[in-house]
Amino acid sequence: MNASIFRKLGVVAAVLLALAPLLLGGFGIGLMNDIGIGALVALGLVMLTGIGGVTSFGQAAFVGIAAYSTAWLTTTWHVSAWLGLPFALVLTALAALLIGMLTLRLGSHFLPISTIAWGLSVPLVLSNIEALGLHTGITNIAPVRIAGWSLQDGGAMYYLIWACVGLACWFCRNLLQSRQGRALRSLRGGSALLSSVGADAYRLRLQLFVFAALLSALAGWLYAHNNRYVSPSPFDVHASIEFLLMAVMGGLGQLPGALIGAGIVILLKNSLQDVLPLISERGGQLEVIVFSLLFLLLLHRARAGFCGFVLRHMGSRLKPILPPQIAVAQPLAMRQQPLAGSKILSVQGAVKRFGGLVAVNQVSFDVSAGEIVGLIGPNGAGKSTMFNLVTGAASLTHGSVHFLGTDVTKLSQRAVARLGMARTFQHVKLRPQMTLLDNVALGAHLRTRAGLLAAGLRLDRAEEARIFHEARVQLARIGLQGREHELAGALPLGTQRMLEIARALVADPVLLVLDEPAAGLRHAEKQALGELLRQLRRQGVTILIVEHDMDFVMKLVDRLVVMNFGSKLMEGNPAAVRRDPQVQAAYLGGTA
Amino acid sequence: MGWDVILILLSDGIANGAIYLLAGLGMVLIFSVTRVVFVPFGDVAVFSALSLAAFEGGKLPGTIWLVLTLAAVASLCEIGVLLRRREPQKIARAVLQYGVLPAVPCALAAVVAATQAPQLVQIVAAILLVVPVAPLAARILLQPIADASSLVLLMASLVMHFFLAGLGLMFMGPEGFRTQLLVDGMINLTPDFSVSMQTLLMVSAALVLSVLFFLFFERTVSGKALRATAVNRVGARLVGIRPARSAMLAYICASLLAGLIGVLIAPITTLYYDSGFTLGLKAFVAAIIGGLVSYPLTAVGALAVGIVESFGSFWSGALKDVIVFSLLIPVLLLRSYYATHSDEDEEEIDQ
Amino acid sequence: MKFFRALTSVFIAGTVTMAAPLASFAADLKVGFITSLSGSSSSLGIPYGKGFQAAVAYMPEVAGKKVDVVQLDDASDPTTAARNARKLIVEDKVDVLIGTPGTPSALAIAGVARELKTPFICIANAKLEGEEGAWMVTVPQPTPLMIQGVIDQMKLAGVKTVAYIGFADAWGDIVYDALSKAAPAAGIKVVANERYARTDTAVTGQVLKIVATHPDAVLTGTSGTPGALPYLALASRGYRGKLYGTHAIINPDFIRVGGAAVEGLVAPTGPVVVVDQLAASNPTRKIGLDFRAIYEKTFKTVPTDAFGPYSFDAWLLFADAAKRVGNKAQPGTPEYRTALRDAIVSSKEVVGTQGVYNYKPGQPFGSDQRAVVMVKLEKGQWKYLGQ
Repeated sequence: MNASIFRKLGVVAAVLLALAPLLLGGFGIGLMNDIGIGALVALGLVMLTGIGGVTSFGQAAFVGIAAYSTAWLTTTWHVSAWLGLPFALVLTALAALLIGMLTLRLGSHFLPISTIAWGLSVPLVLSNIEALGLHTGITNIAPVRIAGWSLQDGGAMYYLIWACVGLACWFCRNLLQSRQGRALRSLRGGSALLSSVGADAYRLRLQLFVFAALLSALAGWLYAHNNRYVSPSPFDVHASIEFLLMAVMGGLGQLPGALIGAGIVILLKNSLQDVLPLISERGGQLEVIVFSLLFLLLLHRARAGFCGFVLRHMGSRLKPILPPQIAVAQPLAMRQQPLAGSKILSVQGAVKRFGGLVAVNQVSFDVSAGEIVGLIGPNGAGKSTMFNLVTGAASLTHGSVHFLGTDVTKLSQRAVARLGMARTFQHVKLRPQMTLLDNVALGAHLRTRAGLLAAGLRLDRAEEARIFHEARVQLARIGLQGREHELAGALPLGTQRMLEIARALVADPVLLVLDEPAAGLRHAEKQALGELLRQLRRQGVTILIVEHDMDFVMKLVDRLVVMNFGSKLMEGNPAAVRRDPQVQAAYLGGTA
Repeated sequence: MGWDVILILLSDGIANGAIYLLAGLGMVLIFSVTRVVFVPFGDVAVFSALSLAAFEGGKLPGTIWLVLTLAAVASLCEIGVLLRRREPQKIARAVLQYGVLPAVPCALAAVVAATQAPQLVQIVAAILLVVPVAPLAARILLQPIADASSLVLLMASLVMHFFLAGLGLMFMGPEGFRTQLLVDGMINLTPDFSVSMQTLLMVSAALVLSVLFFLFFERTVSGKALRATAVNRVGARLVGIRPARSAMLAYICASLLAGLIGVLIAPITTLYYDSGFTLGLKAFVAAIIGGLVSYPLTAVGALAVGIVESFGSFWSGALKDVIVFSLLIPVLLLRSYYATHSDEDEEEIDQ
Repeated sequence: MKFFRALTSVFIAGTVTMAAPLASFAADLKVGFITSLSGSSSSLGIPYGKGFQAAVAYMPEVAGKKVDVVQLDDASDPTTAARNARKLIVEDKVDVLIGTPGTPSALAIAGVARELKTPFICIANAKLEGEEGAWMVTVPQPTPLMIQGVIDQMKLAGVKTVAYIGFADAWGDIVYDALSKAAPAAGIKVVANERYARTDTAVTGQVLKIVATHPDAVLTGTSGTPGALPYLALASRGYRGKLYGTHAIINPDFIRVGGAAVEGLVAPTGPVVVVDQLAASNPTRKIGLDFRAIYEKTFKTVPTDAFGPYSFDAWLLFADAAKRVGNKAQPGTPEYRTALRDAIVSSKEVVGTQGVYNYKPGQPFGSDQRAVVMVKLEKGQWKYLGQ
């Protein structure tokens, strides 16, 4: 069974949705309209919360801003509802940009409460503005008209709403399967991962935030012209919570979850409204109780929502769909590699102090093109700190680092990555739910340029083909060709390490910096890794490897830099290092 | 705005802040042990206040039925789990723990409602009556997903609030209640400014309880065991701490705290079945300012929220919440800047 | 899997609910009643529901036909109210809608009623004029009428300055509007306009500002139990001026919570609240006593709030209009709904518990001076002051 079954299901669903108004009565169409509007907001939440990791309790506020904008414009200035759309979108985008810039730098606990903050404040402010009708709101909003004919007649708003939902789904799906999409899907992997491939986590989150706000704004415009009456209360925090419930119930990890969740919540509430009064006289009050219980029971059985439940029970039998292997006319542009033997990395007098502790003390060394240099030392020698100083993850207290002639002492990880340094992590940072191909393709982030809009509109297909071509090349290089469709989380640790190296290679680096790649590997895996690194060196890749395992590096490197207690102990070829009595004393604890 | 106005607003703010502090402590307690932001905390406080009001009105509090229902369901859940684990011999103890024990305060409450007990007895009965609510509700609704991602736990907690508030509406009606003052009278701090004894009681209760909390968590073994569970569940199990039991202990303590808060604010505020939400929200804000880990900062946050709210309502009653939350954002920015920020904060969603 | 099946059945149930039109009893009338049984308006919604129940018990047959009642809860949310209205009209094919506390919810229903051409008898204080309000009438007395009664009392008492504190919602806006328009004509100055949210637990700041202006009187634009908060705060600040309120606070829990702080409060209300203190010649006395009797019979307690009577009157208006439509059209058809609407908006001298109603097309309110009585709270009881 192939995952294309979902594509087929999607087509069936689209056909059913198109035919629905013929089958359903007026009330049914009304329900479907509400579901569609809710689905748009929930879609934004799936993107923002499910993928971007930003739990937002304020989406209803954006719906409200858009709804009020278009309501005000069309009732005060008597213009067409279609003009209200760009007006609402622009106003909401500006508000989202402002709020995002203020709050998206907040850490994980603080961010949700900031969303409650503006989720509460916006409706309160709206309800205190005289021109917006204070608490009574704006009535008699004009309906959407096409060629003089009102869409309110015959329930034609249904088609507009669901066309919008369809477009939004299409856009989101394209976005997730693009360069930007891979970066967005890595947001939950941590900012270190993103910085190492040159992406800015904060900017990505901001883009996603504004995007989700625009989806909510679209929903708001539709709400205003469908219900033709806006008041502050449908846009308060309780409404935001309900949107979040929809997204969670449907499944935060999958796009269809938004539609399914919206459908479940609204249909369930409707059914309860019909059923409960038959059971008890206090039916109205039981609704909330029964709904809450059902939601909690759903969470017990299916934490990842409806879609997660389905995937969990069918997912193992599904093969993911791979992008087709197209022949590319022109592969991605390669970097100009420096001449063999020229100095590419130069560390001079690096010092790093943490308060009173000196972690790195006046360490200097060079790396020339085409060689493998090992940075070794016993535990606590300061290797990891040195590593962070070189890659830009930490800042130097004194000294300097030059890379390819540029002073990178003060540059961020992203800037250093842009110059041509690619790194791996000691604790592997792969995206477990993404395929091997996608994980490796992430490395090409800096070599390509397609942004959010191009990705959503599918204008980036050519560039994508080139990225995947490159990714396949690198996968073959590390011996994983033919396994592109596997999920990265299912690989053993050794293979994951190699996959990270492939991702680093896709970035076409000048210098490959590896952080304890042999840590935790079995003997056979270590051998395979060593073989890979030797092969890479034969192909001219420059490697700086920070390692703890003496045995592993001895057979691998051209030159060794030995650190101990933060200082450089000595530098030289493996044989010389092995003979050196100071090194022996450091590692074995020599006699005085 | 003369000095007398400032003093009044300040004392009002500090009194409210004391309440937010206590509620914040409860929330931080539960979060630090279970990673759950316990939104229904406010609802438990409201239940205790409404029960006390029922006692004073000579009526049987609806909370009794709530507790008994929860006890029955919890016992059934526990029996189910034990049967599945094939440990039928533990059923008797489970029924005792989840079924009989919660019924004791219910019986006490029934007795108190029937007789004209003195105020202190009524207060104690009201507090004890709501103590089982949080642990039982958590056992039924949260324990099965105790290891889910924090987002799922947060959503579950929110829905639990709707559930409990809905039950509150059904059992206690939509009307508000106040109770009689615990202590009457005013104290003159300055010639023109006096503070009610009730306010002083609230503030001193807050201080005493904060100190007790601090001592419990820093100096006793159980307190440290609770903190250990929060830091690493698996690690705690490896040294013999049972996370489920720690969680129960945390919920019981928090419930007790909530009950106390309820009877403290009932005389000065009209409480409704849904008042718990705003109380929980403001307490949550205070807890967040403390980073959900630090009790002293939670205290500072709570006082700040209370005072800003008080002055904000003077400046504009309708926009008071806007003022409080707008000022919150720079505070959060500051706090976030100084908080240690590790990549481990990022969590995958459940699959 | 079991869960999957259960969910599918819920889905199917939902779809069936949407798709299948319910069988309509052609000969019987159908009434759709929407109220708030949960949420922020439930303290008004539940009494409204009770009043409605009393009305149905009082007059189960209208114009010789049986009446089918469908009741829905809108949970104090305007979107749900609109959805309920649509459901009632499209699925249950009701001939008339009656509902709901909360002005935004009522306006939302009005929009749907106008779109689907069904008459709507509104029991909240909402008004739509002209074309917009062509399908709606409002039962409660217009707020300016009630406030005028308050202003007259203030003038009698020699009040020169009044401070206002109300809810931060539509009701608070409506009362303030009425006050600021009526007060200048009587030579009274409005010196403060404070607001607080229904869910607020303290109004210290607002009351401090009010007390600082030293007003002769304070008027509140609140309702139900949360409406007692300003009075309590004023009492604790030692305020000694006159206290006034609106008809929305006439409810026993308000008196319970307010206690000594609301003693001597003067408010306008409908005649039914003090029906036994009315003169025998008062036209609403008989129906008011009937209401009381049927309410006691249905609920075994005396009615003590002013909200239930509005739903009762809505039912009376509907019954009167249906009688005049008679058999001119078949219930359940669009013609019947139009005829019913025409009859309702031209109601003449319909005697209700809250006054005598006269409607004209294009005018939302039907109450006149006979609908307003002034009452004063003395020792927990409302005492009739005059009309």
